[in-house]
Amino acid sequence: MMRTVSAAETAPTTHPWAVHAEGLRVRAGRHLAVDGLDLALGTGVHGLLGPNGAGKTTLMRALATVVKPADGRLTLLGQPVDGRADLRRVRRALGYLPQQFGFYPRFTVREFVEYLAWLKEMPKTAIPGAVQRAIDRVGLTAKADARMKTLSGGMLRRAGIAQAIVNDPAVLLLDEPTVGLDPEQRLDFRTLLRELGADSCVLVSTHLVEDVVVACTDVVLISEGRLVHQGTPDTLIAQGGQSDAGDSPAERGYSALLRRHRAEAGR
Amino acid sequence: MSRILGIELRRSAALGAVLTLLVAGAGLLYAAPERWSAGWMPLVMTQREYLVLLWPLALAAGAWQSRREHRSNVAELFVSTARPRAQRMVPTLGAMSIGVVSAYLAVLAVAAPWIFDTAGYLPAAAFAVAAVGGLALVAAVWFGLAVGRLVPSLVTAPALAVAGIGLLMVTPVADGSREWVSLVFSPMYGMGQYTDFQTVYGRVSVAQAIWLTALAATGAVLLASGSWRIRVAALLPAVLGATLAIMVVPRDDKFVVHPIDPVAQEQVCAEGSPRVCVSRIHSGLLSEVTPLAREALAILAKLPDPPTTAHEDTTTYYPDTAPPRQADVVLIPVGVDKSGHLAHKATVLSEMLRMVGANTHGCDAGGDTPVSRAATSWLTGREPVTDDPEEPAELNAEAVTLWRGLQGLPAKEAAARVAAVRRAALDCAELTGLLSRSAR
Repeated sequence: MMRTVSAAETAPTTHPWAVHAEGLRVRAGRHLAVDGLDLALGTGVHGLLGPNGAGKTTLMRALATVVKPADGRLTLLGQPVDGRADLRRVRRALGYLPQQFGFYPRFTVREFVEYLAWLKEMPKTAIPGAVQRAIDRVGLTAKADARMKTLSGGMLRRAGIAQAIVNDPAVLLLDEPTVGLDPEQRLDFRTLLRELGADSCVLVSTHLVEDVVVACTDVVLISEGRLVHQGTPDTLIAQGGQSDAGDSPAERGYSALLRRHRAEAGR
Repeated sequence: MSRILGIELRRSAALGAVLTLLVAGAGLLYAAPERWSAGWMPLVMTQREYLVLLWPLALAAGAWQSRREHRSNVAELFVSTARPRAQRMVPTLGAMSIGVVSAYLAVLAVAAPWIFDTAGYLPAAAFAVAAVGGLALVAAVWFGLAVGRLVPSLVTAPALAVAGIGLLMVTPVADGSREWVSLVFSPMYGMGQYTDFQTVYGRVSVAQAIWLTALAATGAVLLASGSWRIRVAALLPAVLGATLAIMVVPRDDKFVVHPIDPVAQEQVCAEGSPRVCVSRIHSGLLSEVTPLAREALAILAKLPDPPTTAHEDTTTYYPDTAPPRQADVVLIPVGVDKSGHLAHKATVLSEMLRMVGANTHGCDAGGDTPVSRAATSWLTGREPVTDDPEEPAELNAEAVTLWRGLQGLPAKEAAARVAAVRRAALDCAELTGLLSRSAR
């Protein structure tokens, strides 16, 4: 398939990392949910793992420019994200699926994805084609003209992914995208993730360690708002021993890392 | 943008608002067509009066639409997008205003066929009145969107509708007899009609348009704003608009309290003779009026120096105006029935001949009923009868006696006496005894 490539897309990137956080602190209410996080993410699919309350969603929200960092430095695509910056240019290159995906129930899938494409300030002429492509990629072609309120949970999640990828984002943030997907859909989703990660920075938050190992090029484990581990799926697996909790090598690696981190923190 | 506007038109509350306003507006108009069947100006003014219901409905529709964003929990996702909130609101504002304006126009379109054949006079003021009505709905729906955003509760829409009705009801009471205040701030005020000649002066419409535009602007800024500072600044257009509108609105009672359109009152005449004329606003009824009026003139032609012309009686009570008393003119009472045609056809002739065809407007005395009735009966050749069951019987009995007396006289003498009654009536003079003594 051919498509027009804009000058901005072919311009050499001047930033080493798509996402770069240094000493990042972000509040969730009065609580510092992200507390001194250092993180650098480039092109590829990054799986964000961590126990409940680790600060995954708060980190996602900060990267999506929804909440302002309380402290530290955060740059997205080379541009600093702080209270005063004009985020418009960065936001055009973002894709975001929130944990709680809000939508207009009376809109059809196509209308809602088109509306989001408009909100992302895509060029007018590119929108109809991009909308169709995004819907096709998440496998909702047959439901494109169904009202959002008629979709099942898994379909809604896929509609949410479609709106997130419609603008071919340079930074794609998916907060628990696999909730509600059946096993077959999860397999399709892994394929889609690999495609997307070929030329953009994808951060996927999930509880499913297996998904990360299979579909991600990089694993990010956080706990209590801090980075515990970053590496390839193989390095995650290498952390676990037979005595660690878990049904798979990756799960055992995950448990081992968390156990060690807690032991250090408790010291 | 146009595609997004299309989506909003289909999926927002705009469609529901169109249906609600159309059904309510057309339903109210057709519930009492006699209120507006007289012409285009009565139609657009009556529709403005029904803003008493439509205006609060538009407020509620705006508030209802605004709740969508809160209810569907999209803020998280939308905040992460590039387009500023102000721009995101443009299709919503556009769709809702297209909805309410097209509903307002559709109500007019539904009413128009009813009077299309009979309504002739279409003054520019009618367009201004309708335009201000549409603008009032836009201001209401935009302001409703803003309130619905600031208070995204299930009860906001109904509470706002009730508040809107309350505001429209209270304004005329609270204005302290300064009607021009109500005229600026209540889009339905001053639309009740005492005559078909009533109008709305251009400067009044301009003042109303200024205020409503300012209110709409305040609503739009409140809706689009992200900060409290801008929200406070949003009150500025409303304050400026109110001030400017108060400066512009005329305060002379002539323009404020039931103002009359003199052009609508001008007489328009039928071809041929004798001359028969009706007011311009009733010009569509000329063909129905002319034969009746000519019949009356033919009956009066039995008199020496008979009247030669019939004009519509354009008397108004609020304000108190009457056509001048002229000996050669007989007045025609013209009313419009609910289908837009001449009302009370059966009594037009007898009303014209009452008081022997004399215009007695402005006379203090009520005239002498037996004398005038007997004189009229001599003209028509029919025995006097009363049309008022409450009237004392002796009045008509006396009229019959006087009528018999006239019939016993030579025709020339009888005609001279009846003509004397007519002259006296025109002069507001005493009629009693004029039929019993020889005319000089």
